[in-house]
Amino acid sequence: MKKISRRDFLKGSAGALATAALGSTFGVSALADEVSDISGTIEVGGWPSGDDAFEAALEGFNALYPNIEVELVFTDTTSHHQALQTSLAAGAGASDVAMVEGAYIAQYRNSTALANLYDLGADAYADDFVEFKWNQAISDDGTRLVAIPWDIGPTLFYYRTDIFEECGLPTDPDEVAELLSTWDGVLQAAEAVSIENQRWFLPSAIYPYEWLFINRDYYDENLNLILERDGDLECLEACIKIRENGWDMNVDMWSTEAYAAYEAGTCVCVASGVWFSGFLKTDIDPNGAGHWGATVLPAGMPSTNWGGSFLVIPEQSENKEAAWAFVEYMMCTSEAQNAMFGAVDYFPAYKPAWDDAPELYSDPDDYFGGQAPNAIATQVADEIPTDIFNTIMDTTAEGCIYSSVNAGLEAGETAEEIRARLGSDIEAACAELKEQQIQTLKDAGVWSGD
Amino acid sequence: MSVKKRKGLLGTLYSYRVAYAYIAPFFILFAIFNLYPIAYGFYLSFFRWDGLSQMHFIAIDNYKNLLNDVLFWKALKNTLFIGIIAHIPILLGGLTLAYILNSKMVKGQNIFKTIYFMPMVTSSVAISIIFMNMFGYNYGYINYFLSLFGISNVNWLGGDGSLIKVAVIVMFAWKWIGWNMVIYLAGMQGISNDIYEAAAIDGASKPRIMFNIMIPLLKPIILFTLIQSTIGMFNLFTEPYILTSNSWTGGVNNGGLTLMMYLLNKAPQGGTAYGYASAVAYVITLMIMVISLFLNKVMGDNEPKPKKERRGRK
Amino acid sequence: MIKLICFLCAIIAFFVIISIAHPTGRKITLYAVLIVVALIMLLPFYLMFVMSTLSTNQIYSFPPILVFDSNLITNFKNMVEAVNLPRAFLNSCIVTFSYVFLVLFFCSIGGYAFSVYEFPGKNALFSILLVTMMIPATAGIIPWFIMMSKFGWLNDYKALIIPGCANAFGIFWMRQYCQNNVPKELMEAARIDGCSEWLIFFRVIAPILKPAYASLGIMQFVNQWNEFTQALMILRKEKYYTLPLLLKTMVSDRGTDYGAMMLASTCAVLPLLICFLCASKFFMDGLTAGAVKQ
Repeated sequence: MKKISRRDFLKGSAGALATAALGSTFGVSALADEVSDISGTIEVGGWPSGDDAFEAALEGFNALYPNIEVELVFTDTTSHHQALQTSLAAGAGASDVAMVEGAYIAQYRNSTALANLYDLGADAYADDFVEFKWNQAISDDGTRLVAIPWDIGPTLFYYRTDIFEECGLPTDPDEVAELLSTWDGVLQAAEAVSIENQRWFLPSAIYPYEWLFINRDYYDENLNLILERDGDLECLEACIKIRENGWDMNVDMWSTEAYAAYEAGTCVCVASGVWFSGFLKTDIDPNGAGHWGATVLPAGMPSTNWGGSFLVIPEQSENKEAAWAFVEYMMCTSEAQNAMFGAVDYFPAYKPAWDDAPELYSDPDDYFGGQAPNAIATQVADEIPTDIFNTIMDTTAEGCIYSSVNAGLEAGETAEEIRARLGSDIEAACAELKEQQIQTLKDAGVWSGD
Repeated sequence: MSVKKRKGLLGTLYSYRVAYAYIAPFFILFAIFNLYPIAYGFYLSFFRWDGLSQMHFIAIDNYKNLLNDVLFWKALKNTLFIGIIAHIPILLGGLTLAYILNSKMVKGQNIFKTIYFMPMVTSSVAISIIFMNMFGYNYGYINYFLSLFGISNVNWLGGDGSLIKVAVIVMFAWKWIGWNMVIYLAGMQGISNDIYEAAAIDGASKPRIMFNIMIPLLKPIILFTLIQSTIGMFNLFTEPYILTSNSWTGGVNNGGLTLMMYLLNKAPQGGTAYGYASAVAYVITLMIMVISLFLNKVMGDNEPKPKKERRGRK
Repeated sequence: MIKLICFLCAIIAFFVIISIAHPTGRKITLYAVLIVVALIMLLPFYLMFVMSTLSTNQIYSFPPILVFDSNLITNFKNMVEAVNLPRAFLNSCIVTFSYVFLVLFFCSIGGYAFSVYEFPGKNALFSILLVTMMIPATAGIIPWFIMMSKFGWLNDYKALIIPGCANAFGIFWMRQYCQNNVPKELMEAARIDGCSEWLIFFRVIAPILKPAYASLGIMQFVNQWNEFTQALMILRKEKYYTLPLLLKTMVSDRGTDYGAMMLASTCAVLPLLICFLCASKFFMDGLTAGAVKQ
């Protein structure tokens, strides 16, 4: 059987669509200065702090579209996705515009329950967005685009400068990166900052391993699980040492216990997407200005994306025109993207925004003691590979990393044993999802497996 | 009941119209709001469907895959383990407490009854969060208590995953012990005093009265509570879910993975495998029924009462 | 570890010895058992109240704080700022009270009919009813939701009230109670007096069912007050939220204000506890008379 790669397919069909879309209903609206007469009420659903972000940009939107009334319906992330999913399956009850977290995009990519944004004129913006993120929203057969990327999450390594200083470690991002550029350096730093049962280097020793994988390429295009990465065993060995020596808190990095420890300075380092800056500033450690720093991932790990969301328009929406107007303004203008970036640190996937307000991306940030984490994030964003392959198994596989590696560490296994354990755990947990994914790829006509 | 005799089936039914009218609301509402969804769910269990794209008929593959899924068996094992172990304190504790309260040696029966029953009245979300704090690793109340005796921190909810079950069992027992106690007590109070007195006159010792007279008489009641908490066991989800920091796989080594969590993880709360989830739901239903029948058989066999009922809870 | 075991053994030995030595000692032992269990039952509630007066950082500090502190006002302010508790409270009341009212009505007539009337198909129908109790609702949740949206019942309390308001458990419960507590002679007497069947039920039977109403009412009240899964699917806008949904919105990936959340939980649980404490005698009577006798 001749193998058709999904990406070949993409390239071919995207070009064809670009031409086709010119004649579509709304065409390419150039966001002219004059006031639009599109009217109606649209409901926008998501999770915090998306609502804060929209509120920051809503004034600009209303100036252009005075007749569209926007109603924000926000709840926590899990509930939001669950409600969205159920409404899409039921064919009713979804909001007109909905946020979708990056990790969930694979399951929506092929959904006909979401409007094809190519039909609404989205192709005009294809080149304006970070490539890997845009590609994630294209259906496997390349004919549909179901979401517009909002933000990306170049992964940064956050650390407490005050504790580093106290322990005689450097605090400047470049120097810290230099110090942590090898696993030996990482272990030295971990030893230096940790105090038994009182202060820890990381929330959990499993995280360095997770950083190698976060958000990408668990499976190849034939849906074979790919766990071998450059340096993965060295990384696991470092994890083992961190756990053995009690340099980690041994808790989930998103647990409230860990949050309290970030604020108290008892958990000294954590890595996450750049949106974590916003978490720190407004929620986790609002009084922590001046004692946080951020640099690139340690030990020469490849630059990677962590999270970031999309906006979708459900097919069932009765006012797609207004919904698209909203999405187009919020996602595809520098004005809105930067207003929202300023409000909640959602790093725009819309590239023109970076040049439009360079100060937002390069100026020193007072919260980070005059460092400029966004400048590092911009540089990381450039290095993120563009050919990321996502599947609906990814979130489950990611969850397995936490539990399986922890189980392996607790059982005192070697790096190879832990990797093998993780492999079989992921296969077990993802069995049904994989069947589903194969079915989806078959439906799209791009499945080349048996 | 006063019945006017009429000819024909309709006539017969008409003459019982009052009774039918009284039970009609249940059957009508059930047919509309439950029967259709459940039947549709059965239909779905033969399909692969993610809720977002087209459905594919796969016959009994969902059921086959289910039986081959190690996680399903882990979940079943965990659920049974948690259920069975938790029933030891629930049954023995419930009976003992009821026995003490019934012994007339203590006062304040109502206060104790009310306090023991309180866990049943609270939302499991709030309570789970509190238990999570109690069992916390670095800042937990229980570890603090243990540290007073020189015991170093125990990683209840993490570690190698084996202790998650302990936390879940404690929560499960905490919730159900009072309910069982109240029901047992009610049963004990329903046993006529004459029986005890007669036994006492015959020279039976107190433990003998308890085991030979009271427990057999309480059998139907114990059966009732057993079936109730069995269903409670199969529905166990919120507690382990929150205790493992919202992990859909039950934390490290799937230590806290229960059947209901496994089901909800497939759909609709975690994943989107609607067909598969429907199959799981049917398998769970079947298991609840089998266990209920089994309990009924075992417990009810040497039962002098003529009437036996299958019991359950909402 | 050894210290702990010795400590526990010593306590147990002490009580065993005094209960063998003297009847009063035994009494003390029994009280000790009851009180220890009572304390265990109350501890989580106590901790919830304590935590509602602490800041999140205090909740996650070592050693843990076991007594009330002064952060209540701040938590209250944060809670009021974050959520509209009175509104959610009102919503919960609307849903729960109307639901419980309907449940009591439909289930009592249904249970009564199964108990006192003889009619063709009675046993078969009752068996069907019992079987329905064992099917987890999750089996049909998606079709159910599709149905609700077709009915236009999204963001509508009807979806939470109507479908379950004549439920199998309630009918079963009421039947058990009627079986034991409705004297047939009374009905016959009323019939001879010329009462219609409806009147017999409302005038004669309903008053007898009071304890059963209380016990079933409380159980259904608790279930509905804490109902989360269906409410989450149906109620999409914050102004319609019931208390459990509101609590859920307070948990955020961006860090949860646990102090405020515990205060909100306390506010959600407290009315229920108070109701239960006030009605507990009724409730227990209902249990005693209904559930357990065969």
